[in-house]
Amino acid sequence: MPLLVATALTKDYPMNGEVVHALRGVSLTVAPGDYVAIVGPSGCGKSTLLQLLGGIDTPSAGSVALEGTRLETLGDSALTRLRLTRLGFVFQRFHLLPVLSAAENVELPMAEAGLPRDARRARARELLRYVGLEGRAGHRATQLSGGEMQRVAIARALANRPALLLADEPTGELDAATGRGILDLFRRLNDDGATIVVVTHDDRLAGEAGRVIHMLDGHIVDETRGAGR
Amino acid sequence: MNPLRNLARHPVRTALALAGIAVTTAMLLDMVLLAGGIERSFAQLLLGRGYQVRVSPRGTLPFDTEATIPGARGIAATMRRDPAVEAVAPIVGSSIHARRGDSLVTLFGYGIDPAAQALYQVTAGADLAPGDSAGLLLSAPAARVLAAAIGDTVVLVSRLDPQMAVAGSSRTVVVRGVVRWLYDARDQASVGTLVPVMQELAAFRAEDRVSAFAVRVTGDADSAAARLRAALPSLEINSVGAMVLRFRERLTYFRQLSLILGTISLGVTVLLVGTLLTITVNERRGEIATLRAIGVARGTIVRAVMLEGGALTTLGGGLGVLLGLATAEQLDRILTSFPGLPAAISFFVPDARSLALAAAVLVITGIVAGAYPAWLAARAPIAETLRTEAT
Ligand SMILES: Nc1ncnc2c1ncn2[C@@H]1O[C@H](COP(=O)(O)OP(=O)(O)O)[C@@H](O)[C@H]1O
Ligand SMILES: [Mg+2]
Repeated sequence: MPLLVATALTKDYPMNGEVVHALRGVSLTVAPGDYVAIVGPSGCGKSTLLQLLGGIDTPSAGSVALEGTRLETLGDSALTRLRLTRLGFVFQRFHLLPVLSAAENVELPMAEAGLPRDARRARARELLRYVGLEGRAGHRATQLSGGEMQRVAIARALANRPALLLADEPTGELDAATGRGILDLFRRLNDDGATIVVVTHDDRLAGEAGRVIHMLDGHIVDETRGAGR
Repeated sequence: MNPLRNLARHPVRTALALAGIAVTTAMLLDMVLLAGGIERSFAQLLLGRGYQVRVSPRGTLPFDTEATIPGARGIAATMRRDPAVEAVAPIVGSSIHARRGDSLVTLFGYGIDPAAQALYQVTAGADLAPGDSAGLLLSAPAARVLAAAIGDTVVLVSRLDPQMAVAGSSRTVVVRGVVRWLYDARDQASVGTLVPVMQELAAFRAEDRVSAFAVRVTGDADSAAARLRAALPSLEINSVGAMVLRFRERLTYFRQLSLILGTISLGVTVLLVGTLLTITVNERRGEIATLRAIGVARGTIVRAVMLEGGALTTLGGGLGVLLGLATAEQLDRILTSFPGLPAAISFFVPDARSLALAAAVLVITGIVAGAYPAWLAARAPIAETLRTEAT
């Protein structure tokens, strides 16, 4: 069974009395273990698609099913719960909570999910080790470099063992060398079994993915194979 | 999402908000204290020595006018016949003089019965013994004015008739003790003798006049007062409870005023906290959208902001209570030094209920004031907010 099925997604934004057609009928299936990169010129609808897949926005038409659950049938609290427990989000600008330490940022989704404190602590430590930040657990988010912040954000996204990791331009704010580290981390995650959909401008990142989906003007125009699975 | 850490993000702003909340809380608290304080302290004062009924000339309150009651002994005997009456304390009050060197100083003179008195507490030396016609009690200010100590001799001079330039009768007495007269104003120079001595100095003796009685009864004071009133219809006889009620009516206007001012200060606090939290929440719209995106429930976010409002008002309110109590003490000092007002009256009486009420109102305010902006922020469309607020 596919993990994610998106069918005929469209998304229109009203804009000064006109309508912007950000997505014009996009269908996509993601299987468990897939590493999918979505590429295309700026403004072609990549972020919009990712937001629909992740249930943080609703399509104008079409549907998204995650593990057999159609997102449009869920109320706000059920959808929120699904994002918390089944999805992991990584943003271009990290979006960590500045008042919290690295470890606390990672613990936050687990606390929301109701995990006991000890279990949270242990898992946060384990995840920070996984992303190579075991020495930075107590640092405030604001005391970390961009690459470190993105690693914390990835650890946070993994906290509740999501079925699918969604990332929007995760290397967009990072220099080439730092971005490379994030690529390696994604590579390793996928090797360890994570299903990843990543939106990117970064040709290296796209090249590492198994499937590369090309978008243009609100459509999927092509799918090619990358180096990964 | 730790409220204190969020507040510490903008230390100057938070400090200003705390100061503002502290000031409005102090005002709210003072208004709450003031509204109930005078009345409570009035009752405490009147019941201070356990005498629950007051007798004064018809149409007056004790010591309200110069009017007096003739035939004191007969009246006292009539009252004692009531089985509920335990003690009858006759009270004479008059302006008199005392010699100091070549001049006369003006004093307030009380005539009392040491066996039944509702007027004073001995602070040094001894009380008058029954029948001690040569004994004198002094207030501390009187001791200062007369430069007299326990054991010293004082010459009291009767009230002078300004029409006649003759000296009145005089009487030599010995200071037995220093007392605190419960109803004295601050710095009032008062002295006390046995009733007959003061009656003589005040020219009340011939008709056995006194200024008032205080009566101690068992059981219900109101029904005792009613019986005494029936037995002595020419006198004004009231229980302290009834007097406090009447006093309370006189204070209605005052209480309304402090209620209005208290409400205003509460309103200011609500606006202050609401404004601050609205600004804070708006600044954090991006952060809140992120939390929503990663699956944090609306309720969690609203709760966190409410907690922050609660923390803010708890801290600010705590400071405000301290400030309010300090201010109340200062104001009390100013108000009770009004001439003619018993120094023992207190305008601001802290009681647990007022404090708890002010605290509860304030903290609830903080919690509620934050709820609305938080709810708005938690409802904002996530994708759009992330896009526009991307930090
Ligand atoms: N909230 C919005 N309101 C109006 N237009 C939007 C909104 N979000 C996206 N768009 C428009 O939709 C199109 C696709 O945007 P986006 O998905 O962000 O593209 P990409 O991520 O590929 O750069 C763009 O033309 C963009 O301007
Ligand atoms: Mg984009």
